[in-house]
Amino acid sequence: MTGKYEVVLYNNKLHYELTIKRNITILRGDSASGKSEFVRLLSAYSSNPSSSGITLKCDKRCLVLTEGNWSLFTEAYNDSIFFIDEGNGFLRTKEFANAVKSADNYFVIISREKLSLLPYSIDEIYGLKEGKGAGKYRNPKRVYNEMYRIFGKLPYPIKLPDLIVTEDSDSGNEFFSILFPDKCISSYGKSNIKRILAAHPDQAVIAVVDGAAFGPEMQECMDMVSYSGGRLNIFAPESFEYLILESGIIEVPKAIMEETWEYADSAKYFSWEEFYTGYLLDTTRNSVRQYSKAKLPEFYETAGNIEKIRNILPECMRGL
Amino acid sequence: MHEGAVVRGSQIMAGRVFAVLRVWFGDRENSVYNTSVFFKNRYRDEWITEDFARQAILDVDHSAVIDSSSIDSPVLGVISPLQLSGGVKALILMKHFPGKTFNASNCGDNCAKWILRLGEEQDFTISLLHVMDFGEGRFDIRILNHRKLVVHDMQEFLIAGAHYLRERE
Repeated sequence: MTGKYEVVLYNNKLHYELTIKRNITILRGDSASGKSEFVRLLSAYSSNPSSSGITLKCDKRCLVLTEGNWSLFTEAYNDSIFFIDEGNGFLRTKEFANAVKSADNYFVIISREKLSLLPYSIDEIYGLKEGKGAGKYRNPKRVYNEMYRIFGKLPYPIKLPDLIVTEDSDSGNEFFSILFPDKCISSYGKSNIKRILAAHPDQAVIAVVDGAAFGPEMQECMDMVSYSGGRLNIFAPESFEYLILESGIIEVPKAIMEETWEYADSAKYFSWEEFYTGYLLDTTRNSVRQYSKAKLPEFYETAGNIEKIRNILPECMRGL
Repeated sequence: MHEGAVVRGSQIMAGRVFAVLRVWFGDRENSVYNTSVFFKNRYRDEWITEDFARQAILDVDHSAVIDSSSIDSPVLGVISPLQLSGGVKALILMKHFPGKTFNASNCGDNCAKWILRLGEEQDFTISLLHVMDFGEGRFDIRILNHRKLVVHDMQEFLIAGAHYLRERE
């Protein structure tokens, strides 16, 4: 499934507007912000659409997954958006992760848990809040709920770092080692990032992570950043391959970068990180630009190409 | 990290015994994972009109208890206790089943101060599948994954949570 979809759901008292554009969207935030009420409304609508008194507007079928139906529904339906409330134990299972991995569906999950098996983006973690749009609807008493992104723009200002930690151990790490000689190490995986941040209490450290799949680790890392007194920071582009594509080293249609949801098929790519890597590999194959994730090819290490990537980085990441 | 003197869950300080909140990071056998379902089947009408529930419902859900079966919500109108937020339901259960472990990852950070308040009144245990933000103040939370560990601020709590949640992955 590809595309970006508006989900509008309302009754006489509540009005929700959500925008869904990746295979996995996470809703969390304070209690009583209306997350579970959304699922209750959608369940009531699904049971009896025409006589529920609830209105749903969406170009795709919207369904609620529960402990009892998730396995059946994920096999039986495609081209649908599934919503899952917190408290469902199946969310943490390998079986569910496998079902999401190859699904021709999108999933909207209400949960504060990490859900380490699901590679969701830091940009698709939202809360719900009462929006400013309430007045534009006929019923002024209807509460208008809209999404807000929980993690804002990154990185926050930081001085020149003492240490760079990359989630990658391969090409991404090689590139940042060129910019920061003797200051760049790898965490060998996203789940080790916070351990390394905690292990360097007296240094200014920037962690370079693949934002497209770093969602499960983001909350704990951002908590560490916020309690570090400005010492720690996170740089989270979609992925290292995204930086290469964005830098102009290779000619990439604008839409690929700006409307990725139209191209990153959920049945083929578990995350946009996989999509960008696949796109870079496909478009450079059998050419002088041929990319390899395992080792940064010499073509990308030339001074001109290093400079092109460097130019799109925030100042604190441009190296020594 | 500090390690306080611990006797059967409560802490002894200056000769007085204080209740302490206990946290288990990760899944725990026999803990109640879906607190809303448990609440639906086990809550009692009289709990809703107690001071603790009234105050928590007002603070977290911004709703006023009318009587044991009716709550005035500014958004939904008059609702039943079953339509309270998942966080408030979990808080009421923690208050009334101190011997049970409830999944506090069903509670938003706006429930954290109520969990700390309960922890000052009674010994009880919560399980967490994420690191809840208990704010910038000092507190005493015993980490059951390491029975002698008591943490006193968010930084210590965060390090413990990151360690034990990762260990269980």
